[in-house]
Amino acid sequence: MYRFAYRRVREAEAAAELVQETFLSALAARAGFRGEASERSWLFVILRHKLVDFYRQLARRAAVEQADSAPEDHETAEPLFGPDGHWLAAQAPQAWPPAHDALEQQELQRILAACQQRLPARQQLVFARRFVEEIPAADICQELALSAANFWVLVHRAKLSLRQCLERHWLAAPPLPTSSPS
Amino acid sequence: MLLPAFVRDCRTATRLIERRAAATLRPGERLRLWAHLRLCVYCRRYEAQSRLLARLAPHSPEPFTPATAAMKAQWQDQITQALR
Repeated sequence: MYRFAYRRVREAEAAAELVQETFLSALAARAGFRGEASERSWLFVILRHKLVDFYRQLARRAAVEQADSAPEDHETAEPLFGPDGHWLAAQAPQAWPPAHDALEQQELQRILAACQQRLPARQQLVFARRFVEEIPAADICQELALSAANFWVLVHRAKLSLRQCLERHWLAAPPLPTSSPS
Repeated sequence: MLLPAFVRDCRTATRLIERRAAATLRPGERLRLWAHLRLCVYCRRYEAQSRLLARLAPHSPEPFTPATAAMKAQWQDQITQALR
């Protein structure tokens, strides 16, 4: 259960708290447990509910923070597009070399995970629900109480930032040595 | 020659690309995006890279540290207390 929660909230303290709350809710409601499902799946149903509450709270908190700090007129921390909407020269997507082997693929995934951590909270949350856990857009909107328009703004911004972050850290990095020096 | 505005508008094009991945474009939007992509190599790259991100994301490594003994002890404590 802890692993399940941790994979979703990526924070030890919050995950531990969710597990704790699940146990306590389960104890409080144990009279209602009729043994129709296994105890294990019953606990996971409770944990899922706790997670949805947690996401909602996070989305609300992030919305308040972002309203204060985010610049309204551009998508990411620094502008990507000019006034006519065209890519700025320094930000235009470059051609990426294909990731040939498993090692390169792994490296790309590692960079992507690191880039995800740098996204603003709400974008990080929406990206993880949509693309890591692959939940349908409509379900995420409902779960996080987002309008479809807001959802797409967040997805668009998250993708723009991640693409830029990956390009910087993958393209710029020197190629990995193929044989280990020793 | 005066080109229509959407030819230069990569901000809108990239937004449409994201929505197209979930098949929610109106016919007019689909046409504009198609025409934009014919003319704009950057947005063609963006689309390919955006797809790559979606493909990579489900497999991104999870940094996971197992529950510590202290956490488990605390859960145990709380349960014992609640049972009393």
